[in-house]
Amino acid sequence: MDTSQYLDIFLDESKEHLQNLSDQIMDLEQNPENMDTINEIFRAAHSLKGMAGTMGYKRMQTLTHDMENVFSEVRNGTFKVQPGMIDILFKSLDALEEYVNNIQQTTEEGTNDNQDLIDALNSILKNNGEVVAGGSAPAAAAAPAPAAPPASADGNAKKERWQGIKVTDTEKMLIDKAHSEGLKVYGVTVYVEEACVLKAARAFLVFKALEKLGEIIVSAPTAQDIEDEKFELTFSLIFISGNTADEIKEAVKSVSEIEEAFCAEYTVAASATAKPAKPVETKPVEEAKPAVTAPTPAPKAVVPAPAAAAPAPAAKTSASSSASSAKPAAKPVVNRTVRVDIEKLDNLMNLVSELIIAKNSLISATAADESKGDNGSVNEQIEYLESVTTNLHESVMKVRMVPIESVVAKFPRMIRDLSKKLGKKMELYMTGEDTELDRTVVDEIGDPLMHMLRNSADHGLEPNDVRVANGKPEVGSIFLDAYQDGNNVVIEVRDDGGGINVEAVRNKAIERGTVTPEQAETMSEKEIIDLLFLPSFSTAKKVSDVSGRGVGLDVVKSKIESLSGEVEVKNRFGEGSSWIIRLPLTLAIIQALMVVIGDEKYAIALGSIQTIEDVLPEDIKLVQAKEVIHIRGTVIPIIRMDKVLEIPSRGDENKKSKNLTVIIVKKGDKQAGLVVDELIGQQEVVIKSMGKYIKVPKMISGATILGNGEVALILDTNALI
Amino acid sequence: MDEVKVIDDQKRDLSLNRPTKRDTTQFIVTQLGGEQYGIDIKYISNIIRMSKITRVPKVPDYIKGVINVRGVVIPTISLRLKMGLPEDEVTKKTRIIILTLEQHESIGVLVDEVKEVVTLDEDHIERMGYEKDDKERFLSGVGKADGKLISLLDITSVLAEVVDV
Repeated sequence: MDTSQYLDIFLDESKEHLQNLSDQIMDLEQNPENMDTINEIFRAAHSLKGMAGTMGYKRMQTLTHDMENVFSEVRNGTFKVQPGMIDILFKSLDALEEYVNNIQQTTEEGTNDNQDLIDALNSILKNNGEVVAGGSAPAAAAAPAPAAPPASADGNAKKERWQGIKVTDTEKMLIDKAHSEGLKVYGVTVYVEEACVLKAARAFLVFKALEKLGEIIVSAPTAQDIEDEKFELTFSLIFISGNTADEIKEAVKSVSEIEEAFCAEYTVAASATAKPAKPVETKPVEEAKPAVTAPTPAPKAVVPAPAAAAPAPAAKTSASSSASSAKPAAKPVVNRTVRVDIEKLDNLMNLVSELIIAKNSLISATAADESKGDNGSVNEQIEYLESVTTNLHESVMKVRMVPIESVVAKFPRMIRDLSKKLGKKMELYMTGEDTELDRTVVDEIGDPLMHMLRNSADHGLEPNDVRVANGKPEVGSIFLDAYQDGNNVVIEVRDDGGGINVEAVRNKAIERGTVTPEQAETMSEKEIIDLLFLPSFSTAKKVSDVSGRGVGLDVVKSKIESLSGEVEVKNRFGEGSSWIIRLPLTLAIIQALMVVIGDEKYAIALGSIQTIEDVLPEDIKLVQAKEVIHIRGTVIPIIRMDKVLEIPSRGDENKKSKNLTVIIVKKGDKQAGLVVDELIGQQEVVIKSMGKYIKVPKMISGATILGNGEVALILDTNALI
Repeated sequence: MDEVKVIDDQKRDLSLNRPTKRDTTQFIVTQLGGEQYGIDIKYISNIIRMSKITRVPKVPDYIKGVINVRGVVIPTISLRLKMGLPEDEVTKKTRIIILTLEQHESIGVLVDEVKEVVTLDEDHIERMGYEKDDKERFLSGVGKADGKLISLLDITSVLAEVVDV
């Protein structure tokens, strides 16, 4: 069967399952007894196995199968989760990830069998959970014995699953009515082939075929669930028809990829007796089945047996039912999403931008006409248009926004591994995973963040004994906080380690010849820290494979700058350091204040503006030859925009006597006052790229088109401060 | 925009003749100072009248700024300054030629006047040797049409330098 068209879906879903597995196994490590977690792991591993098998990735299937077996035993209470086991599971996850990556790049899973992992997993099974290499004896003891009953239970249940269907009074009435009309009522159970990719579609065809012959009264799972593919490999229904059981069976089996169909006359009594058995019986069967049919060595096939054989303890049943009830709750969300090519969204965004420009032209056109007479109704409509375009813009922007969760979710696992590798105890605390950022930004931010976390883990946190000696808790803490701040999203990576040793960096810089000793003397702490962002500058005393190769921070910085963001470092020597990444929330349309400087119009993002002040020229003081003003207790440096922008002076000698308009802008906790000549007003502006033919200075973040068709430049106040 | 229309008409006329000639190139002839320069028509996406150019601070002086062409912000350079001629003097005849080299990346060049379209075949083009002096480094050859000499601009090298800056 050609499965190439499903490759994308397979990759997406596999990654989702792998991430889920990773999260759950982390959780399991903390709470080895949590049945919900174990069930979730089992289910994810099971789905992954099924998908890999369908796509023909045998190695991946085998490995997941063996993982599933281990979980299955844990779930049955045969043995408990142990730390050694977690390690092997994580290694297996890595191997799976490698398969998936290989598939993504070459559509082949690669040739690595990962036999060692499979052996390790099997030895866990054999040794009842003990992670012992080579042990074998006590292994199969329990297994073969219970193998028989489930087989029969399996066969039994296979035919009679429709008996588990609960019948309501209305349905009973329908059944009675059918009987009185001389029609027959059948119970039908359909098994879909395990390799079937579109189960829901097959089920639909079965339904369609049956509807030609009669009427379907009720199905289990419900028709909606079947449509949503919320069923394993089988579904049952009760069916009224004038045809014989064999004819119905034929009709069902005429649909391709249907493995087996059972049909027998339905009696209310049969269902009544079957009812109480259902919750216990059906679930284990579903699990047993794939294991039996999977192409793997014999001893493993019996693994899920105890689940089916032993009457499941109450706790377990409730655990599995709660797990299955959690699933339907999550599923519809997935089903109601549509995957859209980001280019189509870009296109939509451009059109919205055009619309906003057109709207702005309309506004300025009517403003010009205003003198001629009353055009109240036009203004009204324009206001309406404005609110519609604003909403439209927001909606389109929201579509492009995704939570950073997709990126940061892998970090706890990474820190866990680093902790083992570096032999330091550490803990990662994350907040604000639901903070949303533009899709393009989220895709790019993963690597820089990973790098900073590694840095914190490797350089930031001291070894455990040093920490204790310094009176800190033995376990180091790394924090990753994300939050929105005005038009920016801030992601902060913080640790409670030793902080940056500024003197060490200074010495290193001199040693490396990056700066001369004289220069180093005069450099401020901040300037020294900025040296860390230079290419090939690492202060780690020993090079580890975690970090310390001298590539990194410069890459981090350039990456973030390419996203129009910036990095700031706050350092408290001895107490830790925090690395603050500031990223723009959106990249396309902003609210801006239009100002006039000289004869030119400029836009300043409203998000960065704090206040606008009227300042008397004599209030400007000189501090270290720099102009500053005192505003409500803070000293704020003044930037003369006409000088910075090299605007030809318009020769206003009256300027000296006039008050200055100063726009106070902030960047983090720093402030600056920009002197402008005039304020025009607030306006929504569409940020346009200026093309690659000219290299614009950093203080210009882009251009926008005004209502009258002129181009105005947008000032990046962050670059000015 | 009637200017553009005229050129469109000329284009159509020329395209009627095209099948009879082989290896021909069409050039738009522009006036720049006392000389005429030809720009290969395949790079030209639009010719517009002079419009307000927004100055961009801290860029080389031959970059005049940016303009808005149908919702797209396009940087505009002065060919005069680029070629070492005196500063542009904006007249009624001044035009901005929008060149598009790669997809969606456009640049405007300021010229004194757009004159006509000429079609030159290879026989009428004299290619430049490798030794080009300062002014000639932007030229790909010299074309002869109706007894006039037209310097043919090598647009890629003109723009290559812009990108480098």
